[in-house]
Amino acid sequence: MNSPRTIFLLLVALLVSCFGLAAHLQPQFEAWRGSRAAGDIFNVVLGDSRRIFANSFYVKADEYYHSGYYPTIFDDKAAFQTAHMAADTGAVNDKNHGDEHGFLGPPRDWIDAFGRHFFPDRHTHLDEGGADDDLSGSENVREILPWLKLSADLDPDNVQTYTVTAFWLRIRMHKVAEAEAVLHEGLRNCPDSYDILFELGRLYDESYHDTGRARNVWKLALDKWLKLDSDSQKDNRLIFEQITTHLAKLEEDAGNLSEALNWYQAAQKVSAAPAALQARIDDVQKKLRAFIPVTPQKLY
Amino acid sequence: MSAILKTQKLRVEFRSREMRQAVKVALAGLDLEVRAGEVFGFLGPNGAGKTTTMNVLLGFVPPTSGSASLFGIDVRQPIARQRIGYLPELTYYYKFLTAEELLRFYAKIFGLPRSEADKRIDQLLKLVELEHARKRPIKSYSKGMQQRVGLAQALINNPDLLILDEPTSGLDPLGRMKVREIIQRLKDEGKTVFFSSHELGEVETVCDRVAIIHQGELKAVGSVHDITGRHASLEKSFLEIIGFQTQPTP
Amino acid sequence: MKNIFAVAGIVIKELYRRKDFYVLFIVTILICLVMASVNIFNDAKIVRYLKEICLLLIWICSLVVAVTTTARQIPAERENRTLLPLLAKPLTRPQLLFGKFLGCWLACGLALLCFYVFFGALSAAREHQWPLLDYFQAATLHWFMLGIVVAMVLLGSLVFAAPSSNNTICFVVIGGILFVGRHLDQVALTMHEPLRTVVDSIYFAIPHLELFDVRDLVIHNWPLIPWLYFSLALLYALGYMAVFLAGACLVFRRKAVN
Repeated sequence: MNSPRTIFLLLVALLVSCFGLAAHLQPQFEAWRGSRAAGDIFNVVLGDSRRIFANSFYVKADEYYHSGYYPTIFDDKAAFQTAHMAADTGAVNDKNHGDEHGFLGPPRDWIDAFGRHFFPDRHTHLDEGGADDDLSGSENVREILPWLKLSADLDPDNVQTYTVTAFWLRIRMHKVAEAEAVLHEGLRNCPDSYDILFELGRLYDESYHDTGRARNVWKLALDKWLKLDSDSQKDNRLIFEQITTHLAKLEEDAGNLSEALNWYQAAQKVSAAPAALQARIDDVQKKLRAFIPVTPQKLY
Repeated sequence: MSAILKTQKLRVEFRSREMRQAVKVALAGLDLEVRAGEVFGFLGPNGAGKTTTMNVLLGFVPPTSGSASLFGIDVRQPIARQRIGYLPELTYYYKFLTAEELLRFYAKIFGLPRSEADKRIDQLLKLVELEHARKRPIKSYSKGMQQRVGLAQALINNPDLLILDEPTSGLDPLGRMKVREIIQRLKDEGKTVFFSSHELGEVETVCDRVAIIHQGELKAVGSVHDITGRHASLEKSFLEIIGFQTQPTP
Repeated sequence: MKNIFAVAGIVIKELYRRKDFYVLFIVTILICLVMASVNIFNDAKIVRYLKEICLLLIWICSLVVAVTTTARQIPAERENRTLLPLLAKPLTRPQLLFGKFLGCWLACGLALLCFYVFFGALSAAREHQWPLLDYFQAATLHWFMLGIVVAMVLLGSLVFAAPSSNNTICFVVIGGILFVGRHLDQVALTMHEPLRTVVDSIYFAIPHLELFDVRDLVIHNWPLIPWLYFSLALLYALGYMAVFLAGACLVFRRKAVN
C-alpha cells in the first residue's frame, strides 16, 4: 500500500477524477455565472457586501462635507439621517431633526471634555467656509467627490449618488461637462431613474441654456414617474412637483403661458406648499389674460 | 593573597512549578575562595551547580541564604561587576552588529572614553585574531569566530577577574589551544581567571587550583597536584571524588 | 544615563538594519502615489482623501513598527542569550529596560519623521501650503502615543510567554482603545451593575490613545490645538509611559534571565 508506485497511481486517479468532475460541472457553472458575468471587480471580490461599503463611503462623503465633525454610532444621529450634502441640493426629502450643532451633548466627564480639543467640534459645511471659515473657499466641496465616485462605483444602482455628485460638480465646481458625464453614467446603470433625468434637465436648462433638450428630458422623467404604481407615486411626490414646476417655469419663460399654467396646476395637486404655487398660478393667469390677442380691425 | 571571589555558606534553592512547589537545592552551603592572580578551575558533572554558582556571582540569581562577594563587594551591587569579564557558555551576540560595534557598545557600558575604547578594541581584535573580520556582521561568523568575539567582549574593560563558563566548548583543537594561550597570558599579567570546564586535560595544564562540586556541595578544593593525589590523572581523581565506580580493567 | 543611551543606540541600529521599516515605507509611498494618480473629475486640487489614506497608512505602519520592534526586544535577548553578557556588565535591569524603551521610542520617532516628511511633501504638492505647526502638533502627539504603546508592549513582553502572543494581544488592545475607547462611558450607561462599574473602571483606567489621533484636524485644516491642551496631552502620555515602565521594572526584577 505504501509503495511509491501505488501512491503515484492513486494521485493520477485523483487527478483524473478532479478533471472529470470539473468537466461535468462546467455547463452548470456557466449557467450560474450570475454577477460574475458582469465582470466588475467589485462585484466579483465583494459580492453584495459592496453595497455596505458603498453606503459607508457615501456617509464618508457627508463626513467630509462636515470637515470631520460627524456623529458615530454612539452619538445622537437624529440630525444626520439624511446626508446634509444631499439635503442641501434641495432634491431629497430631508428627514433630519434635532440639534446638528450639539449632537455630542455636554461633556460627560473630564476625559470627554479634554478630548474634545483633539477632534472636530463644530458643525460646518464645506461650501459655507468649512473648518477655517473661509467663505471664499466654497469650491472646497470638491473634497467630497472621491468618496461619492467610489460609492457610485461600488453601488451603481444608487441614484442619489449620481444626482448629488452632479449637483456639486455643476453648482460649486462649475464642471458642467463632468456633471453631465456622471449623469449619463447614472442613466446607463439606472435607465428608468426620473431623479437623474430631472437633474440632467436642470443641467441643460441652467448651465447650457438649452431649453429644448431640458424640456424633452423633463418630459421623459415625467413619463418614467407616471409608470410607477400608486404607492410609489405617493412616496415620490417631491420629484413630481420639482419636475412639473421646472417645466412650468421653462414654459413661462418661453412665453407658453397656457402650458405653464397646466404644469403649475399639476404641481399644486401634490405640493406640500400649495399656497405658494397658487401665487404663481395667479400670476400666470394674469399674464395670460393680458396676452389675449385682439382681433385686428379692418381699416377700409 | 586576598580573596577576590568569595562565597560563604552559599545556598540556592529553586521551587519547581511542575512538582507542586517542591524545592530543588542547587547549592547547599558553598564555601569558596579564589585568590588574586590565580587560575582557578571549577569542575563538576552536569547539574552539579557550576552554572548556578556563576549566575549568583554575576547577579543573575539571588542566593536563598549565605553570601557572595567580588572584590569585597556584595554581588548584588552592579558596581561589583565593573572589574570583571564574563564569557557565557553559549552566546550568539547581536547578529546585526559587527565585532567592532559590539565591542564599542560594551566599552560604552563600562564608561571607557572613546580614545581608550578604540585602542582597546584594536588590541583585542588582534589578540583574538578577528582583525580581518572586524567590519563584518557577526551573523556571518563561524562558531569559533563567535567564541573569540565572546572572549574579546569579556576582556574589553581589562578586567581583574575573568569568569569563563566552558570557554573551549565547541572549539576545535587549534581554537582550544589559543584559548589556553590567552588564559596563560592573562595569568602572566596578574589577572585572576575563574573558569568551569569539562576538559580535565586543559584544567590540569593551566589551573593553579581547582574545586570539584557535586550535587550542590563542594567535594574537594586544592591544587591540581593535591587533588590528583595518588591517581594517575585528574580525571580518575575526579571520578572517585564524585563517587563514580570505575570498572576494573580486565 | 550613558548605559541607557548605549542600549538605545543598539535598538536604533537594529531598526535601520532590518528591512521592516523600508518595506512599510515603500509600500506606503507606492499606495499613496497610485491613489494620487487617480483622475477624479479632472480636478487636480482634491487632496483630503489622499491625506486621509496617507495618514491611515502612516498610523498602521507606525503601530506595526512600534509593536513588533518592542515585542521582540527582551525575548530575543533571552533567546539569543545576549542578555547574560549584557547583565554581567555594570548595567542594572531598570537601565536595560529604559534603554530598550528609549531605543524603541526614538526608533519610532525616526520612522515617523520619514513618514511625515513624505506626507508633508505629498499634501504640499496639491495644496501648495505647509502648515508646519499643524504637522508638528500631529507628529508630536503621534510620537507620544507610540511612547505609550512601546511602554505597554515592553511590559507585555515580560508578562506574556511569546512575542507572537504579545503582538496579538497588544494589537487587539490598541485597536480597541482607538476605536471604542472614547465611547466606553456611553456603553457603560447602557449596562446594568456590576458590569457598568467594570466598564466605567476600564474607561478611566485605560490610556486614551484616541486623544492623540488628530488626523481629522490635519486632514480638514482645523485650527491648531491650544498649546496648553497640547502640553497636557504630552504630560498625560508621559504619565502612562511611567506607569507601564514601572510595572515592567517590577516584573523584570523577579524574572530569571536564563
